[in-house]
Amino acid sequence: MKPCAFEYFDPQSVEEVFKLLDKLGDDAKILAGGQSLLPMINFRLARPEVLIDINKLDELDYIKEENGYICIGALTRERAIEDSELIKSKIPILSEAVKYIAFLPIRNKGTLGGSIAHADPSAELCLMMIALEAQIKIESSQDARWVDAEDFFLTYLTTVIEPHELITEIRMPIPAAETIHSFQSFSRRHGDFAIVSVAVVLEINDDGICEGAKIALGSVNPTPLRVAEAEDMLIGKKLDAKLIEAVANETAEASDPDPDLHSSADYKREMARNFTKKGLMQVLKRFEENA
Amino acid sequence: MKLEGTYRFNTAQEKVWEVLTNPKHLEKAIPGCEKLEEIEPGKYDATLKIGIAAIKGTYKGMAEVADPQPPDKYRLVVEGGGSPGFVKGEALIELSYQDQRTIVSYQGEGQVGGLIAGVGQRLISGIAKMMLGQFFKQIGKELKSL
Repeated sequence: MKPCAFEYFDPQSVEEVFKLLDKLGDDAKILAGGQSLLPMINFRLARPEVLIDINKLDELDYIKEENGYICIGALTRERAIEDSELIKSKIPILSEAVKYIAFLPIRNKGTLGGSIAHADPSAELCLMMIALEAQIKIESSQDARWVDAEDFFLTYLTTVIEPHELITEIRMPIPAAETIHSFQSFSRRHGDFAIVSVAVVLEINDDGICEGAKIALGSVNPTPLRVAEAEDMLIGKKLDAKLIEAVANETAEASDPDPDLHSSADYKREMARNFTKKGLMQVLKRFEENA
Repeated sequence: MKLEGTYRFNTAQEKVWEVLTNPKHLEKAIPGCEKLEEIEPGKYDATLKIGIAAIKGTYKGMAEVADPQPPDKYRLVVEGGGSPGFVKGEALIELSYQDQRTIVSYQGEGQVGGLIAGVGQRLISGIAKMMLGQFFKQIGKELKSL
Protein backbone atom coordinates (compact mmCIF):
# COMPACT_ATOMS: atom_id res chain seq x y z
CA MET A 1 0.00 0.00 0.00
CA LYS A 2 0.99 3.61 -0.31
CA PRO A 3 0.52 6.29 2.31
CA CYS A 4 -2.27 8.82 2.20
CA ALA A 5 -1.18 12.13 0.72
CA PHE A 6 0.88 14.31 3.03
CA GLU A 7 2.78 17.58 2.97
CA TYR A 8 6.54 17.09 3.32
CA PHE A 9 9.06 19.41 4.96
CA ASP A 10 12.81 19.11 4.99
CA PRO A 11 14.08 21.53 7.67
CA GLN A 12 17.79 22.30 7.86
CA SER A 13 17.94 23.27 11.53
CA VAL A 14 16.33 22.53 14.88
CA GLU A 15 14.90 26.08 14.94
CA GLU A 16 13.15 25.41 11.64
CA VAL A 17 11.66 22.24 13.11
CA PHE A 18 10.29 24.18 16.08
CA LYS A 19 8.71 26.75 13.75
CA LEU A 20 7.05 23.98 11.76
CA LEU A 21 5.85 22.21 14.89
CA ASP A 22 4.39 25.42 16.32
CA LYS A 23 2.42 25.93 13.13
CA LEU A 24 1.54 22.36 12.13
CA GLY A 25 2.31 20.17 15.16
CA ASP A 26 -1.24 18.91 15.62
CA ASP A 27 -1.30 17.38 12.15
CA ALA A 28 2.36 16.45 11.85
CA LYS A 29 4.61 13.49 12.56
CA ILE A 30 8.37 13.72 12.85
CA LEU A 31 10.19 11.49 10.37
CA ALA A 32 13.58 10.29 11.66
CA GLY A 33 14.71 6.76 10.68
CA GLY A 34 11.18 5.91 9.62
CA GLN A 35 11.51 2.27 10.66
CA SER A 36 8.40 2.41 12.83
CA LEU A 37 6.56 5.29 11.16
CA LEU A 38 6.83 4.33 7.49
CA PRO A 39 5.17 0.89 7.89
CA MET A 40 2.35 2.58 9.81
CA ILE A 41 1.74 5.20 7.14
CA ASN A 42 2.23 2.77 4.28
CA PHE A 43 -0.50 0.57 5.75
CA ARG A 44 -2.51 3.74 6.29
CA LEU A 45 -2.88 2.94 9.97
CA ALA A 46 -1.46 6.38 10.65
CA ARG A 47 -2.45 9.23 8.35
CA PRO A 48 -0.50 12.34 9.33
CA GLU A 49 -1.21 15.28 7.09
CA VAL A 50 2.33 16.55 7.50
CA LEU A 51 5.71 14.81 7.69
CA ILE A 52 8.65 16.75 9.09
CA ASP A 53 11.84 15.01 7.97
CA ILE A 54 14.58 15.72 10.52
CA ASN A 55 17.32 13.64 8.90
CA LYS A 56 19.36 16.74 8.01
CA LEU A 57 19.79 17.67 11.69
CA ASP A 58 23.37 16.42 12.15
CA GLU A 59 23.59 18.39 15.38
CA LEU A 60 21.31 15.77 16.98
CA ASP A 61 23.59 12.87 16.04
CA TYR A 62 26.25 12.28 18.71
CA ILE A 63 27.41 10.03 21.53
CA LYS A 64 29.48 11.63 24.28
CA GLU A 65 30.44 11.38 27.92
CA GLU A 66 29.67 14.37 30.13
CA ASN A 67 29.65 14.75 33.92
CA GLY A 68 29.08 11.10 34.66
CA TYR A 69 26.46 10.64 31.95
CA ILE A 70 26.49 9.16 28.50
CA CYS A 71 24.60 11.67 26.34
CA ILE A 72 23.15 10.54 23.03
CA GLY A 73 21.54 12.82 20.48
CA ALA A 74 18.01 11.87 19.49
CA LEU A 75 18.92 11.33 15.84
CA THR A 76 21.75 8.89 16.63
CA ARG A 77 21.31 5.69 14.61
CA GLU A 78 20.93 2.39 16.45
CA ARG A 79 23.87 1.10 14.41
CA ALA A 80 26.10 3.84 15.84
CA ILE A 81 25.08 2.85 19.38
CA GLU A 82 25.87 -0.77 18.51
CA ASP A 83 29.34 0.16 17.20
CA SER A 84 30.22 2.64 19.93
CA GLU A 85 33.30 1.66 21.95
CA LEU A 86 32.38 4.30 24.53
CA ILE A 87 29.00 2.68 25.19
CA LYS A 88 30.50 -0.81 25.15
CA SER A 89 32.90 0.17 27.92
CA LYS A 90 30.64 2.43 30.01
CA ILE A 91 27.12 0.97 29.57
CA PRO A 92 27.69 -2.55 28.20
CA ILE A 93 24.05 -3.65 28.67
CA LEU A 94 22.97 -1.00 26.15
CA SER A 95 25.54 -2.31 23.69
CA GLU A 96 24.11 -5.80 24.09
CA ALA A 97 20.44 -4.82 23.94
CA VAL A 98 20.77 -2.82 20.72
CA LYS A 99 21.88 -5.95 18.86
CA TYR A 100 18.40 -7.43 19.41
CA ILE A 101 16.68 -4.62 17.54
CA ALA A 102 15.23 -6.22 14.40
CA PHE A 103 17.94 -6.50 11.71
CA LEU A 104 21.02 -4.59 10.69
CA PRO A 105 19.46 -2.62 7.80
CA ILE A 106 16.76 -1.40 10.19
CA ARG A 107 19.37 -0.41 12.77
CA ASN A 108 21.22 1.55 10.08
CA LYS A 109 18.27 3.91 9.82
CA GLY A 110 16.39 3.61 13.10
CA THR A 111 17.20 6.19 15.75
CA LEU A 112 17.16 6.26 19.54
CA GLY A 113 14.80 9.26 19.63
CA GLY A 114 12.47 7.70 17.08
CA SER A 115 12.29 4.37 18.89
CA ILE A 116 11.39 5.89 22.24
CA ALA A 117 8.95 8.39 20.72
CA HIS A 118 7.15 5.43 19.14
CA ALA A 119 6.98 3.70 22.55
CA ASP A 120 6.34 0.13 21.44
CA PRO A 121 6.06 -2.02 24.59
CA SER A 122 8.50 -4.55 23.07
CA ALA A 123 11.16 -2.05 22.08
CA GLU A 124 14.63 -2.78 23.42
CA LEU A 125 15.56 0.89 23.66
CA CYS A 126 12.41 1.73 25.64
CA LEU A 127 13.32 -1.04 28.07
CA MET A 128 16.85 0.36 28.33
CA MET A 129 15.54 3.83 29.17
CA ILE A 130 13.66 2.40 32.15
CA ALA A 131 16.37 -0.06 33.23
CA LEU A 132 19.11 2.61 33.11
CA GLU A 133 16.99 5.42 34.63
CA ALA A 134 17.60 7.61 31.61
CA GLN A 135 16.43 11.18 31.20
CA ILE A 136 14.90 12.49 28.01
CA LYS A 137 15.25 16.08 26.83
CA ILE A 138 12.12 17.40 25.15
CA GLU A 139 12.31 20.79 23.47
CA SER A 140 10.10 23.26 21.72
CA SER A 141 10.42 26.86 20.57
CA GLN A 142 9.36 27.96 24.08
CA ASP A 143 10.86 25.48 26.42
CA ALA A 144 13.34 22.71 27.16
CA ARG A 145 12.47 20.09 29.78
CA TRP A 146 14.06 16.92 31.09
CA VAL A 147 11.71 14.01 31.77
CA ASP A 148 12.67 10.92 33.75
CA ALA A 149 12.15 7.72 31.79
CA GLU A 150 9.65 6.42 34.38
CA ASP A 151 7.43 9.43 33.66
CA PHE A 152 8.01 9.48 29.92
CA PHE A 153 6.09 6.39 28.80
CA LEU A 154 2.35 6.58 29.41
CA THR A 155 0.93 3.51 27.66
CA TYR A 156 1.02 1.68 24.33
CA LEU A 157 2.62 3.92 21.71
CA THR A 158 2.00 6.97 23.90
CA THR A 159 4.47 9.30 25.60
CA VAL A 160 4.33 12.71 27.25
CA ILE A 161 5.58 14.47 24.10
CA GLU A 162 3.23 17.30 23.07
CA PRO A 163 2.41 17.99 19.39
CA HIS A 164 4.75 21.01 19.25
CA GLU A 165 7.71 19.25 20.90
CA LEU A 166 10.79 17.34 19.76
CA ILE A 167 13.09 14.91 21.62
CA THR A 168 16.63 16.25 21.28
CA GLU A 169 18.80 14.28 23.71
CA ILE A 170 18.82 11.23 25.96
CA ARG A 171 21.24 10.89 28.85
CA MET A 172 21.98 7.93 31.08
CA PRO A 173 24.04 7.92 34.29
CA ILE A 174 27.14 5.79 33.84
CA PRO A 175 26.67 2.70 36.03
CA ALA A 176 29.05 2.25 38.99
CA ALA A 177 32.19 0.15 38.59
CA GLU A 178 30.79 -2.80 40.55
CA THR A 179 27.76 -3.09 38.27
CA ILE A 180 27.08 -6.43 36.65
CA HIS A 181 24.35 -6.78 34.07
CA SER A 182 22.46 -9.28 32.00
CA PHE A 183 20.15 -8.76 29.07
CA GLN A 184 17.76 -11.53 28.04
CA SER A 185 15.43 -11.44 25.08
CA PHE A 186 13.18 -14.24 23.91
CA SER A 187 11.56 -14.50 20.49
CA ARG A 188 10.82 -17.37 18.18
CA ARG A 189 13.05 -16.08 15.42
CA HIS A 190 15.97 -13.74 15.54
CA GLY A 191 14.79 -10.23 14.83
CA ASP A 192 11.17 -10.80 15.86
CA PHE A 193 9.52 -8.56 18.44
CA ALA A 194 10.44 -10.02 21.81
CA ILE A 195 7.90 -12.24 23.52
CA VAL A 196 9.58 -11.27 26.79
CA SER A 197 12.76 -9.32 27.48
CA VAL A 198 14.52 -8.82 30.80
CA ALA A 199 17.17 -6.32 31.83
CA VAL A 200 19.04 -6.98 35.08
CA VAL A 201 21.49 -4.40 36.40
CA LEU A 202 22.94 -5.19 39.84
CA GLU A 203 25.58 -3.50 41.98
CA ILE A 204 27.39 -6.20 43.92
CA ASN A 205 30.16 -5.40 46.40
CA ASP A 206 33.31 -7.47 46.97
CA ASP A 207 31.55 -9.60 49.60
CA GLY A 208 28.91 -10.60 47.10
CA ILE A 209 26.21 -8.48 48.72
CA CYS A 210 23.79 -6.77 46.38
CA GLU A 211 23.80 -3.02 47.05
CA GLY A 212 21.70 -1.87 44.12
CA ALA A 213 19.25 -3.58 41.82
CA LYS A 214 17.32 -2.72 38.70
CA ILE A 215 15.11 -5.34 37.12
CA ALA A 216 12.98 -4.32 34.17
CA LEU A 217 10.81 -6.28 31.74
CA GLY A 218 9.65 -5.57 28.22
CA SER A 219 6.61 -6.91 26.36
CA VAL A 220 4.64 -7.80 29.49
CA ASN A 221 3.03 -4.44 30.11
CA PRO A 222 1.83 -1.41 28.12
CA THR A 223 5.17 0.20 28.98
CA PRO A 224 8.48 -1.29 30.15
CA LEU A 225 8.02 -2.55 33.68
CA ARG A 226 10.40 -1.96 36.60
CA VAL A 227 9.72 -4.60 39.24
CA ALA A 228 10.43 -2.82 42.54
CA GLU A 229 9.21 -5.74 44.67
CA ALA A 230 11.76 -8.04 43.03
CA GLU A 231 14.53 -5.44 43.36
CA ASP A 232 13.83 -4.99 47.10
CA MET A 233 14.24 -8.72 47.65
CA LEU A 234 17.85 -8.47 46.51
CA ILE A 235 19.11 -5.45 48.44
CA GLY A 236 21.48 -6.35 51.26
CA LYS A 237 21.43 -10.03 50.32
CA LYS A 238 23.91 -12.42 48.80
CA LEU A 239 22.92 -13.72 45.39
CA ASP A 240 22.31 -17.48 45.36
CA ALA A 241 20.13 -19.98 43.50
CA LYS A 242 17.34 -19.95 46.11
CA LEU A 243 17.07 -16.15 46.16
CA ILE A 244 17.18 -16.04 42.37
CA GLU A 245 14.24 -18.49 42.20
CA ALA A 246 12.22 -16.34 44.60
CA VAL A 247 12.99 -13.12 42.74
CA ALA A 248 12.06 -14.72 39.41
CA ASN A 249 8.72 -15.85 40.87
CA GLU A 250 8.03 -12.37 42.24
CA THR A 251 8.81 -10.86 38.83
CA ALA A 252 6.40 -13.21 37.08
CA GLU A 253 3.69 -12.35 39.63
CA ALA A 254 4.21 -8.63 39.02
CA SER A 255 3.81 -8.87 35.27
CA ASP A 256 0.31 -8.83 33.84
CA PRO A 257 0.87 -9.62 30.19
CA ASP A 258 -1.72 -9.61 27.44
CA PRO A 259 -2.01 -12.57 25.11
CA ASP A 260 -1.33 -12.38 21.41
CA LEU A 261 -0.92 -14.75 18.46
CA HIS A 262 2.55 -15.78 19.57
CA SER A 263 1.92 -16.45 23.23
CA SER A 264 -0.79 -16.71 25.83
CA ALA A 265 -0.66 -14.58 28.97
CA ASP A 266 0.33 -17.63 31.03
CA TYR A 267 3.14 -18.46 28.63
CA LYS A 268 4.47 -14.90 28.74
CA ARG A 269 4.37 -14.95 32.52
CA GLU A 270 6.21 -18.26 32.56
CA MET A 271 8.83 -16.87 30.18
CA ALA A 272 9.14 -13.77 32.36
CA ARG A 273 9.97 -16.06 35.26
CA ASN A 274 12.42 -18.18 33.27
CA PHE A 275 14.28 -15.32 31.70
CA THR A 276 14.51 -13.32 34.90
CA LYS A 277 16.03 -16.42 36.45
CA LYS A 278 18.38 -16.80 33.49
CA GLY A 279 19.39 -13.15 33.74
CA LEU A 280 20.12 -13.34 37.46
CA MET A 281 22.04 -16.60 37.02
CA GLN A 282 24.17 -14.91 34.37
CA VAL A 283 24.87 -12.01 36.72
CA LEU A 284 25.91 -14.46 39.44
CA LYS A 285 28.16 -16.31 37.04
CA ARG A 286 29.77 -13.05 35.84
CA PHE A 287 30.33 -12.01 39.45
CA GLU A 288 31.99 -15.32 40.30
CA GLU A 289 34.16 -15.15 37.20
CA ASN A 290 35.41 -11.67 38.08
CA ALA A 291 35.99 -12.41 41.78
CA MET B 1 -10.29 -12.47 22.01
CA LYS B 2 -11.94 -13.06 25.36
CA LEU B 3 -12.57 -10.08 27.55
CA GLU B 4 -13.85 -10.24 31.10
CA GLY B 5 -13.74 -8.19 34.22
CA THR B 6 -15.54 -6.65 37.15
CA TYR B 7 -16.15 -3.08 38.17
CA ARG B 8 -17.66 -1.74 41.37
CA PHE B 9 -19.65 1.44 41.82
CA ASN B 10 -20.83 3.09 45.01
CA THR B 11 -24.26 3.69 43.52
CA ALA B 12 -27.64 1.96 43.51
CA GLN B 13 -28.05 -0.82 40.97
CA GLU B 14 -30.98 0.89 39.19
CA LYS B 15 -28.87 3.99 38.57
CA VAL B 16 -25.96 1.94 37.20
CA TRP B 17 -28.40 0.08 34.94
CA GLU B 18 -29.74 3.39 33.69
CA VAL B 19 -26.28 4.68 32.79
CA LEU B 20 -25.20 1.42 31.18
CA THR B 21 -28.23 1.19 28.90
CA ASN B 22 -29.14 4.78 28.10
CA PRO B 23 -27.62 6.04 24.82
CA LYS B 24 -27.28 9.52 26.30
CA HIS B 25 -24.69 8.19 28.76
CA LEU B 26 -23.26 5.48 26.50
CA GLU B 27 -22.41 8.08 23.87
CA LYS B 28 -20.21 9.85 26.42
CA ALA B 29 -18.75 6.68 27.89
CA ILE B 30 -17.79 4.71 24.79
CA PRO B 31 -14.24 5.84 23.92
CA GLY B 32 -14.16 7.84 20.71
CA CYS B 33 -17.90 7.69 20.24
CA GLU B 34 -18.96 10.59 18.06
CA LYS B 35 -22.54 9.60 17.52
CA LEU B 36 -25.03 7.12 18.89
CA GLU B 37 -28.38 7.33 17.11
CA GLU B 38 -31.38 5.16 17.92
CA ILE B 39 -32.71 3.17 14.96
CA GLU B 40 -35.23 1.20 16.99
CA PRO B 41 -35.57 0.69 20.78
CA GLY B 42 -32.31 -0.76 22.06
CA LYS B 43 -30.56 -0.60 18.70
CA TYR B 44 -28.21 2.25 17.77
CA ASP B 45 -26.20 3.49 14.82
CA ALA B 46 -22.71 4.23 16.07
CA THR B 47 -19.78 6.23 14.76
CA LEU B 48 -16.54 5.68 16.63
CA LYS B 49 -13.22 7.39 16.13
CA ILE B 50 -10.80 5.16 18.00
CA GLY B 51 -7.16 4.45 18.04
CA ILE B 52 -4.02 5.12 19.94
CA ALA B 53 -1.34 7.74 19.35
CA ALA B 54 -0.94 8.15 15.58
CA ILE B 55 -3.02 5.09 14.71
CA LYS B 56 -6.60 6.24 14.48
CA GLY B 57 -9.54 5.05 12.47
CA THR B 58 -13.22 5.83 12.05
CA TYR B 59 -15.60 2.94 12.45
CA LYS B 60 -19.26 2.99 11.52
CA GLY B 61 -21.56 0.37 12.83
CA MET B 62 -24.19 -0.70 15.26
CA ALA B 63 -24.58 -1.21 18.98
CA GLU B 64 -27.45 -3.13 20.54
CA VAL B 65 -28.69 -3.53 24.09
CA ALA B 66 -30.18 -6.99 23.64
CA ASP B 67 -32.30 -9.24 25.92
CA PRO B 68 -32.54 -6.62 28.66
CA GLN B 69 -33.60 -7.90 32.08
CA PRO B 70 -33.56 -4.70 34.10
CA PRO B 71 -31.80 -4.05 36.35
CA ASP B 72 -29.83 -7.31 36.33
CA LYS B 73 -28.43 -8.17 32.95
CA TYR B 74 -28.30 -7.64 29.20
CA ARG B 75 -26.26 -8.57 26.19
CA LEU B 76 -24.26 -5.85 24.50
CA VAL B 77 -23.66 -6.46 20.81
CA VAL B 78 -21.30 -4.23 18.88
CA GLU B 79 -20.27 -4.31 15.26
CA GLY B 80 -18.31 -1.81 13.22
CA GLY B 81 -16.15 -1.42 10.17
CA GLY B 82 -13.77 1.13 8.85
CA SER B 83 -10.71 1.36 6.67
CA PRO B 84 -8.37 -0.11 9.31
CA GLY B 85 -10.55 -3.20 9.65
CA PHE B 86 -13.61 -4.44 11.44
CA VAL B 87 -14.62 -5.07 15.01
CA LYS B 88 -17.30 -7.46 16.28
CA GLY B 89 -18.09 -8.12 19.88
CA GLU B 90 -20.69 -9.50 22.23
CA ALA B 91 -20.68 -9.34 25.98
CA LEU B 92 -22.95 -10.49 28.75
CA ILE B 93 -23.23 -7.72 31.32
CA GLU B 94 -24.49 -8.64 34.77
CA LEU B 95 -25.25 -6.37 37.71
CA SER B 96 -25.62 -7.27 41.35
CA TYR B 97 -25.72 -5.40 44.63
CA GLN B 98 -23.47 -6.28 47.56
CA ASP B 99 -22.16 -4.38 50.60
CA GLN B 100 -23.81 -1.19 49.40
CA ARG B 101 -22.09 -1.35 46.05
CA THR B 102 -23.18 -2.31 42.57
CA ILE B 103 -20.96 -4.92 40.98
CA VAL B 104 -20.84 -4.96 37.19
CA SER B 105 -19.28 -8.02 35.65
CA TYR B 106 -18.83 -8.53 31.94
CA GLN B 107 -17.87 -11.56 29.95
CA GLY B 108 -17.40 -11.16 26.26
CA GLU B 109 -15.84 -12.25 23.06
CA GLY B 110 -14.37 -9.88 20.55
CA GLN B 111 -13.22 -10.34 17.00
CA VAL B 112 -10.98 -7.98 15.19
CA GLY B 113 -10.19 -8.34 11.53
CA GLY B 114 -8.61 -6.56 8.65
CA LEU B 115 -5.49 -4.45 8.71
CA ILE B 116 -5.34 -3.66 12.43
CA ALA B 117 -5.72 -7.33 13.25
CA GLY B 118 -2.77 -8.26 11.08
CA VAL B 119 -0.35 -5.42 11.62
CA GLY B 120 -1.46 -4.45 15.11
CA GLN B 121 -2.11 -7.94 16.47
CA ARG B 122 0.49 -7.76 19.23
CA LEU B 123 -1.15 -4.79 20.85
CA ILE B 124 -4.85 -5.39 20.29
CA SER B 125 -5.64 -7.32 23.43
CA GLY B 126 -3.96 -4.75 25.62
CA ILE B 127 -5.53 -1.81 23.86
CA ALA B 128 -8.99 -3.42 24.07
CA LYS B 129 -8.51 -3.82 27.83
CA MET B 130 -7.41 -0.22 28.06
CA MET B 131 -10.48 1.01 26.22
CA LEU B 132 -12.74 -1.04 28.49
CA GLY B 133 -11.01 0.62 31.41
CA GLN B 134 -11.69 4.03 29.87
CA PHE B 135 -15.32 3.06 29.28
CA PHE B 136 -15.96 2.07 32.88
CA LYS B 137 -14.08 5.08 34.21
CA GLN B 138 -16.36 7.30 32.16
CA ILE B 139 -19.41 5.34 33.38
CA GLY B 140 -18.26 6.20 36.87
CA LYS B 141 -18.17 9.90 35.91
CA GLU B 142 -21.64 9.66 34.33
CA LEU B 143 -22.95 8.16 37.58
CA LYS B 144 -21.55 11.07 39.58
CA SER B 145 -23.29 13.55 37.27
CA LEU B 146 -26.73 11.98 37.81
